[in-house]
Amino acid sequence: MIYLPYNIIVLIKQILDIDQMKTNPSTGEPITEGVPMRIENLSKNAIEAAVRIKEKSGGKVTGIIFGGEQSSSAMKEAYAIGVDDGIVIKGYKGKNPSVTAKVLSDKIKTLPYDMVILGNQSADTYTGLLPGKLSSLLNVPLLGNAVSIEPGEKEVKVTRVLEDHNVILKGNFPVIISVSQEINEPRLPAVLQIIKAGKREIKMETASIQDSSSIKVLSDKAPKSERKKEVYEEPEKAIPVLTRVIKEAML
Amino acid sequence: MRGIVFSDKEDILSQALTFFRQKMEIDAAIYSENPQSSGQYGAKKLFVLQGAGFSDNVSDALLSIIQKENYDFIFITSTALGREVAGIVSDKLGKEIIAEIFDFNIDNSKVKTKRFAWGGKTVAEEESECRIFTVMPGIIEATTVPEKSEVSQIKMNDSKVSLVQTIPKTSSTVDLEHAGIIVSIGRGIGKKEAIDQIMPLVKAVKGELAGSRPVCLDYQWLSEDRQVGLSGRKVKPKLYIALGISGQIQHIAGMRGSKTVIAINKDKMAPIFEEADYGVVGDLFQIVPMIVKALQQ
Repeated sequence: MIYLPYNIIVLIKQILDIDQMKTNPSTGEPITEGVPMRIENLSKNAIEAAVRIKEKSGGKVTGIIFGGEQSSSAMKEAYAIGVDDGIVIKGYKGKNPSVTAKVLSDKIKTLPYDMVILGNQSADTYTGLLPGKLSSLLNVPLLGNAVSIEPGEKEVKVTRVLEDHNVILKGNFPVIISVSQEINEPRLPAVLQIIKAGKREIKMETASIQDSSSIKVLSDKAPKSERKKEVYEEPEKAIPVLTRVIKEAML
Repeated sequence: MRGIVFSDKEDILSQALTFFRQKMEIDAAIYSENPQSSGQYGAKKLFVLQGAGFSDNVSDALLSIIQKENYDFIFITSTALGREVAGIVSDKLGKEIIAEIFDFNIDNSKVKTKRFAWGGKTVAEEESECRIFTVMPGIIEATTVPEKSEVSQIKMNDSKVSLVQTIPKTSSTVDLEHAGIIVSIGRGIGKKEAIDQIMPLVKAVKGELAGSRPVCLDYQWLSEDRQVGLSGRKVKPKLYIALGISGQIQHIAGMRGSKTVIAINKDKMAPIFEEADYGVVGDLFQIVPMIVKALQQ
């Protein structure tokens, strides 16, 4: 096998653990207080993809988080999976993809890289705009929605998933690759790796950027479901009801 | 007011055109091999992008149309390519963008939009001066108009990315969109072999079998054309029976149009119960045979 040490940057997003987030039963508004943070699932896929390339071909994986003071815990988790260097940029205030793209691209421009790997969307906002914005700001081609990455000498081949067919694409380094969740099953780091990671240094930096947005949130509430929500905990009681409902639907 | 909708999927384009033609004079741009129907949904002009399209050259082509036509609003449908193009186009235009809207109204010089927030747990209604948006698939049911669009072909520049191979997905034989009853399975069925225990119910109700994203994509227990969800089929049967499906918003987005919903799940806290008319907390492998037996009586 040819030894090709790649410089890989992986972009990691830390989000509120939305699966644990509840909404206020009377107002329907989100309750964000006390909800822990987690690494966004697709960022884990991105880290795993980057680390696998490094393990196979050699090189270095640099992780970048645009977040806050609390993001060092996420970076330590990334270290435990196999990220070599970590940079946390503090100053993330809100979900404005333009600001995030600007901060990240400014940082990326200062680093050597063959590939920037990130998740194709994130579970909290689903905007999916960051890969395109970075591609535009860095003037680097985007190989998006990847389920496999095969780096070569000067170029990389990626299998891209589209709605009704897949395509294999190739592009010359440097490239941006956004990954889809089917690309891999992120590993659970070993305890020893977690302990080691805890002692490693993280570069903490601060972004200074103005967020000028015209967007005003008028309301943010859980949608009202008009379902009957008759829930049975004893199956015996449910069966006659379900049978009636099914028979009606079969008419 | 004039706007343009871009998509690389004809069905999603037709929905968005049906919605936005009620709000303003609308044009369309499609990147699709041999588009058939896109000229029938009320776009005044239809630009057909030709060549092998990737995020860079599709964005360039769209930007040159936008600059020439000077639109007030730009709508890009949310597909894998659409989201990438939206990122590039919004950056090149230096304009703020709101993603994944499913409602849009003009209110004087401002627009009011709705989108899901917090992973779909809430709906955020926002007022802004934004002029560019990505639009969720299925915003409205598509209907044709008698007038045909004026079609022009646009030849795209070459991309920096090159195509090595196209891998077709096996064409679909299931018609979930028109099914009367759908029995849908989630991760909760545990393993592929367990489908055998679900089939008697599918047969008894004369339904179609479907599944969640993990079942169809991650584990591939079912083929991809049976996936219900935001990234799969959007279904609206008379009855949707969800077995072992937790009810992530991704899935709900695909089945919300169902008339009646039955959910069986062993986790009492599963969000699917919030989207069900009739829920049963318990072991689906005990409950499904009980239903089949009761139906046969």
